[in-house]
Amino acid sequence: MPQEILSISDVEKSYDGVRALRGASFSLDAGEVHALMGENGAGKSTLSKIIAGAVRAGRGTLTIDGQPVVLNGPLDAQRLGISIIYQELDLFPNLTVAENLAIANHQFAEGNRVRFAELDRFAGRFLKQVGLAISPCRPVASLSIGEMQLVAIARALSMNARIIIMDEPTSSLFDDSVERLFRLIAELKSRGVAIIYVSHKMDEIFRICDRVTVMRDGSTVGTWPVAEISAADLIRKMVGREWKPGERGVREAGPILLAVSGLTTRKLRNVSFELRKGEVLGIAGLVGSGRSSLGAALIGLDAWKRGHMTLHGRPAAPDSVSKAFALGIRLLPEDRKLQGLMMQMSILENCTIADLGAMAPHGLVRRGREASAVLPFFRDLSLKRASLRAPVATLSGGNQQKVLFARCLLANPEVLFLDDPTRGIDVGAKEDIYAIIERLAQQGKGVILVSSELPELLRCCDRILVMREGEITARFDAATVTQEEIMTFATNPVAPGEPV
Amino acid sequence: MTAILKRASFLWEQSAGERRDVLLSLAALIAICLLAIAISPTAFDGSRIFLELGNLTDILRQVSVIGIISLAMTFVILTGGIDLSVGSILALSTSVVALVLTRWNPGYAQPVEIAAAMLAALAVSTAAGAFQGAVIAVFEVQPFVVTLAGMIGFRGLAKWISNNANIDIGFGRDIASTFAAIFRGKGVIIGCYIGLALIFGLLLSWTVFGRHVRATGDNERASRYAGLPIRRVKVLVYALSGLLSGVAGILYAAENHQGNPNSGIAYELDAIAAVVIGGTRLSGGKGTIVGTIVGTLMIGVLTNMLRLNNVDSNVEMMVKAVIIILAVAVQRQGRIAQ
Repeated sequence: MPQEILSISDVEKSYDGVRALRGASFSLDAGEVHALMGENGAGKSTLSKIIAGAVRAGRGTLTIDGQPVVLNGPLDAQRLGISIIYQELDLFPNLTVAENLAIANHQFAEGNRVRFAELDRFAGRFLKQVGLAISPCRPVASLSIGEMQLVAIARALSMNARIIIMDEPTSSLFDDSVERLFRLIAELKSRGVAIIYVSHKMDEIFRICDRVTVMRDGSTVGTWPVAEISAADLIRKMVGREWKPGERGVREAGPILLAVSGLTTRKLRNVSFELRKGEVLGIAGLVGSGRSSLGAALIGLDAWKRGHMTLHGRPAAPDSVSKAFALGIRLLPEDRKLQGLMMQMSILENCTIADLGAMAPHGLVRRGREASAVLPFFRDLSLKRASLRAPVATLSGGNQQKVLFARCLLANPEVLFLDDPTRGIDVGAKEDIYAIIERLAQQGKGVILVSSELPELLRCCDRILVMREGEITARFDAATVTQEEIMTFATNPVAPGEPV
Repeated sequence: MTAILKRASFLWEQSAGERRDVLLSLAALIAICLLAIAISPTAFDGSRIFLELGNLTDILRQVSVIGIISLAMTFVILTGGIDLSVGSILALSTSVVALVLTRWNPGYAQPVEIAAAMLAALAVSTAAGAFQGAVIAVFEVQPFVVTLAGMIGFRGLAKWISNNANIDIGFGRDIASTFAAIFRGKGVIIGCYIGLALIFGLLLSWTVFGRHVRATGDNERASRYAGLPIRRVKVLVYALSGLLSGVAGILYAAENHQGNPNSGIAYELDAIAAVVIGGTRLSGGKGTIVGTIVGTLMIGVLTNMLRLNNVDSNVEMMVKAVIIILAVAVQRQGRIAQ
């Protein structure tokens, strides 16, 4: 009987009223590698952070070695032997490897004076354990990503960790570094260290994990021994609810509007697709799969290394944002606050900023003309002419998104790239946005819809492309495909012989 | 009157909330004026010296040079940048205008030669600013670093072309004297400030360029996604800053009867102070020209009040420091309360 060292029951957590966790339960045995899986936003990282003491649980209990504990911060967790390695490695790039190991480490009692020899000895011991043959005096910024990963693990070991949480540790590693990591994980396991392994990659889970816990919508669905569950089952558990895509309007796709072939950029490899007039083309894929990079390339933000594009059958090159706009291609960015809105400006100004020149003869803004151009987009919104002057920050997330829709639609574009337009907005506003997408398709525009939510893609799209690691891995007819099929291609490398 | 105010509201109100900021700084200005009136020394007939027309116009004349520089500084800060080189560019401008007036004698008509000298100074100043803007925009170096280098480099250039000596502009009947006589007039200096303030106020509120300036400072990444010409905006704001430093330099040269490569030291700090007191955020995106004018006047009235009461000029600096902190802290509290 394996010995349980960590158990969590009915943990809840809300951020600003949004429930990230609604009753998660989880248990971990000594010396096991336990996978944590789920779609983006299912609550994996919140749960990891709660275990690591970085986030405080709203409700629920956490026990370590059978004793209930309260973690008031990462240092509390550290003292109990819990360590976390974040996906975006939280190392100090300008400090040396040894300094990174020793800093804020309860195992290395540092006086006021730095004793370099002792520091290097301390670091050297743990670097050896992870099999990293580098000088402890090197600055972390000079290491490769794989080496940084190992330094982060060495740091966890140096804290005497018994539980290590790894958040998508292989997402930025190449094959040989992955092998090295797996060997290290096996060794840690043999020494009784328990590892919580957060990952999307099915093959890794089946290779190195003992048990798997699936999360969905902030709850844990269940825990199974890896040997007793199939990949298809896992995907079904992650996706959960069955969704009927019946509410999509009937529409006829027109002639080909946009054709892209061999598009290669910093983040994309050989992407080809066609988009028809009046069609909604879905793009499924995990964060970082290249789905947002495709939008950046189409509006000229990312430089094209290779590839060819035609619009209405004529060659077109979106080599700058203004050029792409002139071609009639617009993007609704993924991150409303970072890439979309100017938060200190008014609703009106946010709507018109991209096309102000067109409504300002001789560069002079005509406020009346500006407001008249925008008002039609707010007919269904309870926005009055006067409130157009209110700061955009006063609007709800859904209405802010509509402001960005208005910005995109103002110049009557032909191609719209909508990058996760329903992210972080409430259910009612989502329905409004589905209606807008439907209307755009009826008007004969070409819509590309990126979404993290598969039911959304199934509901809104005619066809769905699946992307992974900068490539298109599958193409489906939205009417016949299942969520499981999409997830398979979003997470797994393509098996030979599969249709692409 | 209200109709006029409503029409003019574009000057201070791009979006709701800015009016509050401006009203707040206006209230502070009025408070300082009332204090100045209250403690003003009196003339023989019992009238307050502070309120004499001569004194009030003196305040305006004294703030004009910094005032003009701070107009363009507002644009720079709105984009999220900073321009530390304005004092050095002012010195460069005084040197160029004095050099051309005194060393260049092609024998054209007086107005032509004066115009040529001024144009030369403005061209050099604008080019200096645009160059910095180009470095900032193209190489994406922080504005602080680039204009710090500019502050050192353009000071050096000013000293080099003038052999590190003041170039006196005569008091006789020559062209240089005519130039000084024209541009040292109170009315001309104040007129320049008011005219430029109007132009820059309109530029910020009425033009596509002004909107782009605010958008760039508000969220540069979003501006890139919206296809705004960010690089052009940046080059332009620093070019404008150079241009206005050049104008300030011409007025300075006329007023002091010399081209002075050591003039304008620490002017950048006074200009930034005026902008910040006026409610413009150092992080960019929000601010108004009216606010900057109010900020400039606040410093001007304060200085005048202290001088009329024979307060030590060192104490004056300390009081200024307190005012800057107070003004910004009060605005910040107001925003939090909102």
